[in-house]
Amino acid sequence: MAVKPKLIKERVPTPEKPVEERIKSFVEVNLGYDFASALKEAERCIQCPPEYAPCIKGCPVHINIPGFLKALRENADNPDEAVKNALRVIWNDNTLPAVTGRVCPQEDQCEAPCVMGKVGDPINIGKLERFVADYARERGIDQELLEEFIAESNRKVKVAVVGAGPAGLTCALELAKMGYKVTIFEALHEAGGVLMYGIPEFRLPKDILKTELEKLEKLGVEVKTNYIVGKTVTIEELLQEYDAVFIGTGAGTPKLLNIPGILLDRIYSANEFLTRVNLMKAYLFPEYDTPIAVGKKVIVIGAGNTAMDAARSALRLGAEVTIAYRRGREDMTARVEEIGHAEEEGVKFEFFLTPVEFIGDENGKVKAVKFEKMRPLEERDRRGKRKIVGTGEYVTLEADTVIIAIGLEPNRILVEASGFKANPDGTLIVDENLMTSIPGVFAGGDAIRGEATVILAMGDGKKAAKAIDEYIRGKKANA
Amino acid sequence: MYRITAKEELDVRDFFMEVEAPHVAKAWKPGQFVVLMIHKRGERIPMSIYYADRETGRLGMFIRRHGKTTFDLWDNFDVGDSLYAVAGPLGMPIEVKYYGNVVFVSDAVCGQAENYATLKAMKEAGNYTISIQTFEDKAHSYPEKFLAKPVADEHYLTTEDGSRGIKGHYLDVLRELIEKDKVDIVFGGGKLGSLKKLAELTREYGIPTIVTVRQIMVDGTGMCGSCRILYDGEIKFACRDGPMFDAHKVDWDDVIRRDSRFVREQEIAKKHYLESRGVV
Repeated sequence: MAVKPKLIKERVPTPEKPVEERIKSFVEVNLGYDFASALKEAERCIQCPPEYAPCIKGCPVHINIPGFLKALRENADNPDEAVKNALRVIWNDNTLPAVTGRVCPQEDQCEAPCVMGKVGDPINIGKLERFVADYARERGIDQELLEEFIAESNRKVKVAVVGAGPAGLTCALELAKMGYKVTIFEALHEAGGVLMYGIPEFRLPKDILKTELEKLEKLGVEVKTNYIVGKTVTIEELLQEYDAVFIGTGAGTPKLLNIPGILLDRIYSANEFLTRVNLMKAYLFPEYDTPIAVGKKVIVIGAGNTAMDAARSALRLGAEVTIAYRRGREDMTARVEEIGHAEEEGVKFEFFLTPVEFIGDENGKVKAVKFEKMRPLEERDRRGKRKIVGTGEYVTLEADTVIIAIGLEPNRILVEASGFKANPDGTLIVDENLMTSIPGVFAGGDAIRGEATVILAMGDGKKAAKAIDEYIRGKKANA
Repeated sequence: MYRITAKEELDVRDFFMEVEAPHVAKAWKPGQFVVLMIHKRGERIPMSIYYADRETGRLGMFIRRHGKTTFDLWDNFDVGDSLYAVAGPLGMPIEVKYYGNVVFVSDAVCGQAENYATLKAMKEAGNYTISIQTFEDKAHSYPEKFLAKPVADEHYLTTEDGSRGIKGHYLDVLRELIEKDKVDIVFGGGKLGSLKKLAELTREYGIPTIVTVRQIMVDGTGMCGSCRILYDGEIKFACRDGPMFDAHKVDWDDVIRRDSRFVREQEIAKKHYLESRGVV
């Protein structure tokens, strides 16, 4: 008679770098599992059948989560084999697990509906995914496995992908796995998009990202950097050379506050601040040439992941940092883990404050921010957040640097240059197959969503790859 | 990688460089700029274009030895070497059409490049072209072959101390021109302070004036918002909406102030570089 296994309610924790060490550098905060602890955590999974598993349904790219955990468990005495099998299962659905294992809001996705979460802690899926990717990379297992994914038949059909961020990378990798000849056009000098310029090293080390990006070359994807589609080359020109085009240009234009003083010095958009720090490595200035000017008292406006990233980066540059948010604590959109890390590291939070004016000194440098105090109402908006109203009371907080992290909208360069049908906010209009108003041109990620997560963008990239495959097959069949 | 195909001193501070970047040369139009990175640790710097040759795929640029990057570029990069990144073209092209009498004024490196590029296009569009190029003095003026003379129906060279050409600034020559003849449109580039004065001068006469608004940029595609300016009461990005704007609608005091945001850091970088070269 089979013995019913005992449910282990508590998660196996992952170690983190101590606060006092990590706030002095950009090294990664979470240290991840080793094989023994990963195995212990994986064994907590009750193995819901894949057709039912709520975790798979909760994942925007539908990774076979019970499947990869099973693979880990089945070869407990042969870690390399276990990881290789697990990685194979993950790669079927997601080729960038070292990224998603680090930056996905798992608590809202795969881990939210986990059955184990009803009796204890949900399975620590994110950290397990990350473990598989990291272990495989460290032991070179990923390189062996990559051979299996190199498509044998190159159909010599060419697809262009615009933007090397999460959506474009996923679309390109999926198409490459199907055997298409893919070229990515990237405006910046390095691939990665927001993963490169937006997410700091302490959350996603660049070396790890670069290893993930090496898959592109292995799978035969060409990356043309320094190409600004819409300027360097037009969509029309791309359509002459490629059978289909995927647009994954993201939402790269920062929203700025339309209040007095916005042009004062040391008021950064989060994009400028993070690009200088992450992509251009301004924290290593003057070893790297791009500077960043940060004072001693920084106010970050906003409460999403970008705000947390900016705040924690500023902290590491030696500043005292306060996050000011117009709503309450429960409405912050950042991942729970990142809010926790920010708090542990000493970032202060001020709630129910809306900025109304930036106050400058005689040199035109910001010296304070004037806020109106807000009051929450019982009524909720369509996103389920409590509505807020101004109280007519004001408070002024000192700041010698301000970072605005209130959101982004799509970059209009491409929309304007190419005549796409778009929404008033600049997002491209697509049909149910993610095809834009221009036949053969598909789009996904923040370019159609406005502002979402890495994994949703990857989900779109994957869906678009399938749609592109069908579109091209249809076109060839009719030709 | 983008190979350097020519390099030549223009004066004691500025130099000419030609780089292979066919993807940019093919698409570039007057008014647009490029972003360069000289090496992987480099910063992204916007650069005006003197010419873009579609046939050879080469871009000509005028560059001032001003900060760390441009010193490094002059000292350590020769013909045959390569730059790490050349991205573009960026920004909006100017409207090339028949205006009538078109004047381009310039008094600093990027403006001198645009003077040539813009007037060339304007001349091809049938305009009567007048170039006024101002240099500080003889030592800081360019060799004849790099002036905008070949593309201008009338060409004036001025130095502020009178050591070469006419004594005075382009503002003086332009005022005289306006008073004696019809000027339909003025284009300008160079020092921001002069462009502010230019805007005041031409506003007085009601002459349309389009100028390059130089601002600190990072990406150059509208992503960072660093180059934001106050334009006709609205926020515009110099990289995406410009770099050329109606001079009469620009808030010049803000533009000039924002241009000096990183002076302290620029000096640190330059000092660090010069020390590493054993110069200081």
